[in-house]
Amino acid sequence: MSSYEFLIEGYDTVTSAVEKKGETFFVTIDNKVVEFYPSGDNLFNAFINGKRRLVAVARSQNGTTYVDIDSVLIELKEPSDDAFGSGAGDAGGEKDKVFAPMPGKIVKLLVAVGDEVTEKQQLVIVEAMKMENPVLCRANGKVKAINFADGDQVDTDSPIIELELAKQEQSD
Amino acid sequence: MKQLFNKILVANRSEIAVRVMNACRTLGVPCVAVYSDADRGSKHRFFADEAVHIGASPPRESYLDIEKIINAAKETGCDAIHPGYGFLAENPILVQRCIEEKITFIGPSPEAIRLLGNKVASRVKMADAGIPLIPGMKDSSVDVELYKKTAEEAGYPVIIKAAAGGGGKGMRVVKAADELEDALEAARREAKNAFNDDTVYLEKYIVNPRHIEFQVIADTHGNTIHVFERECSIQRRHQKIIEETPSMALDDDLRARMGADAVKVARAADYTNAGTVEFLLDETGKYYFLEMNTRIQVEHPITEMVTGVDLVVEQIRIAAGLELSEQVRNLTQRGHAIECRIYAEDGENNFMPSTGIILHYSEPVGPDVRVDSGIAAGMEVTIDYDPILAKLIVHAPTRELAVRKMIDALNAYKILGVKTSKKFMIDVMSHPEFMAGRTYTDFIEKHMNDRKLNLKVYQNIAVAAASVAAQAVPSSGAFSREGDTAITPSPWQTIGSWQIGDSINE
Repeated sequence: MSSYEFLIEGYDTVTSAVEKKGETFFVTIDNKVVEFYPSGDNLFNAFINGKRRLVAVARSQNGTTYVDIDSVLIELKEPSDDAFGSGAGDAGGEKDKVFAPMPGKIVKLLVAVGDEVTEKQQLVIVEAMKMENPVLCRANGKVKAINFADGDQVDTDSPIIELELAKQEQSD
Repeated sequence: MKQLFNKILVANRSEIAVRVMNACRTLGVPCVAVYSDADRGSKHRFFADEAVHIGASPPRESYLDIEKIINAAKETGCDAIHPGYGFLAENPILVQRCIEEKITFIGPSPEAIRLLGNKVASRVKMADAGIPLIPGMKDSSVDVELYKKTAEEAGYPVIIKAAAGGGGKGMRVVKAADELEDALEAARREAKNAFNDDTVYLEKYIVNPRHIEFQVIADTHGNTIHVFERECSIQRRHQKIIEETPSMALDDDLRARMGADAVKVARAADYTNAGTVEFLLDETGKYYFLEMNTRIQVEHPITEMVTGVDLVVEQIRIAAGLELSEQVRNLTQRGHAIECRIYAEDGENNFMPSTGIILHYSEPVGPDVRVDSGIAAGMEVTIDYDPILAKLIVHAPTRELAVRKMIDALNAYKILGVKTSKKFMIDVMSHPEFMAGRTYTDFIEKHMNDRKLNLKVYQNIAVAAASVAAQAVPSSGAFSREGDTAITPSPWQTIGSWQIGDSINE
């Protein structure tokens, strides 16, 4: 019996206990048991309350685990990791920094330093994969700094725009 | 059977390159792939009989470089080029260069491509031919006032489109007069970036429209036929994601009238080879000509599923000068087919493009389930190209059964490492309005906008799977490219010489 802890972004850590009998894995979570039967590389037939689901699971070299259940794609990390940092994801991280969702080119900055901005407002348009992708504001505030100009290439690690958050956002 | 060509160069990448190569195999014609730096490990490179490296990853330096394509064809002794879709597929200069080099271009004439590629010019031509058109600007303009005036006359909402456009790029819907100028500027900018041509025009936006297109094939002996419709109304950001045939909106009479007009469009353009005539159909059964696409379409497989025709094989036969067979001239629709496009994009986050290494890849199998794919485990999905990874196509006796089969197939189609919209598409097809066949082009905006996936119900099973994987599944990474230290070779590198179906033609 081995136990594991995993974390899905935005949800609490869940602890599991895994027991292997023959080729079958019995996983206990919340006093319920799920059976996993290997069904080829990365594939398992999982039985939950007697119902079968084909589950695919892969682990990347940087420690993220990817799961497909009923076409729902879920990324998990171990809680000890510096999980879900501020970089690429546009849901995690500090709301006062605006990052490109993926490497691309800045097509147009839609705000200027000093502008008041509101949640869901379009701040900048980044082109990648031949499509223009609007980057939305995630909090109310004021534009403090703009670190790039139209036409610049951006990666996902350097903030394009920095905001001074409105008071209620900071105490959020 | 006489070999139709000595060798065919496939001037494309990924799933459509593989698809075309399969047609070459069916006809016993050897095929040559071209590939860029980013595609050294790609499926299409290893699927071909020969492959030529044509340059760096940016399309301009490889897949869009006409002289590199022509040289690759000459070097390898190809006497025909198939362009697939996208890239140079609708570029008349490539066709012209092929003619000069005595290489057969598998597609229409440069004149037809020029005419139909210019939406403004083709509208004029089709109006003369008596094809119904949407009210709007007769010509493109740089005069903002003219856009405003036309918009007032046609009535809001209006739509701005790129004259050289396609794939939703350079398109903007304008709901009110005060949005017009910003939208015009954005459309021009996107058109400039995508097509290096910022010419745009404006027309009336039809509310509750369906996107209905007709597959047309024309040989060089004067036979022009249509191979029925495809309904492609389910779109996000004006890009199709789910297509089906037959359309729920057509009865035999409407189908016959629209089909006859599609043939008329092709004839008016002196069209040969395979093409697609796109119409908007409104709620009252009125339809309007949109454009004719002068290429094989992404969604062509659904037509193949219900009719049994191999459209790419027909393209090659027509290019070789053959006449459409009696059988092809008398095709019928049988059952219902659906295609889901598998894009590298996050269906849970505004379809944001997703990149990464494919850590796991396995396809669904079963009768009447078809996968046209350009990917394999270990491949990296980069920002260099269009995010389409694969297409999943199913065929069943009825629409209801086809939807059910598609949902099963999507659930069995496992791609890990990049995001896809599988779950989103399942939710679209499970929606009562979709089930009822009320599929309009604003379906996603209207019915899916408030959709929010709650991962809570999947949390425990996901953690259970991750826990099992921690014990039983080794970590996956990218397979090495040339010059890298070998870690895990691509299956396409290790599989050796093989082919689907026919025996190797040597």
